[in-house]
Amino acid sequence: MTSVALSSALDGLSARQRAIANNIANVNTPNYHAQRVQFEDALAQSVSRGDGHVTATTATSLEPTQLNGNNVNLDTETLSNVDTVLRFQFASQAIGGQFTSLRTAMRTS
Amino acid sequence: MTFDAIGIAGSALTVHRKWLDAVADNMANANTATSTNGAAFQARYLEVEAGAGTSGVYVKAAAFGDPAGRLAYEPTNPLADAKGYVRYPDIDLGSQMSQLILAQRGYQANAAVVERAKSSYEAALQIGRS
Repeated sequence: MTSVALSSALDGLSARQRAIANNIANVNTPNYHAQRVQFEDALAQSVSRGDGHVTATTATSLEPTQLNGNNVNLDTETLSNVDTVLRFQFASQAIGGQFTSLRTAMRTS
Repeated sequence: MTFDAIGIAGSALTVHRKWLDAVADNMANANTATSTNGAAFQARYLEVEAGAGTSGVYVKAAAFGDPAGRLAYEPTNPLADAKGYVRYPDIDLGSQMSQLILAQRGYQANAAVVERAKSSYEAALQIGRS
């Protein structure tokens, strides 16, 4: 279950990473609306049910737009990008730790 | 695909570089006089659009400034017509300067995204190593 939850988290985080990259890529594109990726709440519920599998959902930001119809906030996106990178590193270390335990168990004889 | 944040940021780097090129060309030709027989230098403006889904951004089309430009009375200019007029492009340097800064900052923001995406991918490459 744990490794399923961890890989769901990695999938969600990489989807968010992609959405943020797309938002920053379109920081100057007229009429572009920022995308938000959500999965944490659904993942928490799924884990409490004993499952751990979840797919990330994407929503369009409803923030007010600038005069050119764009609502990307560069500071928020940058912050969110750094946050996502650190969470991704954290989750990938955790999943690496699981594999290390597995390897240790296989060597024991 | 998981690892396309670099590609998305790359598409934006391309768009911003083209934008910088267009602005630089416009500013370089802001004082280019032509004879009144021909068209004035036409400033280039990019029309960009977000790609479908999360595929970054691309240049959809380029729009051009008014070929009529503005007329200036310069009888001593060798290009002047019989009445002493030459044609200059109608380029607003203030607007070009602010576009230059927007394009430069956009380029920098996307270059930073590439750096951050790299740290994620490096972490992913460590999975499974003891």
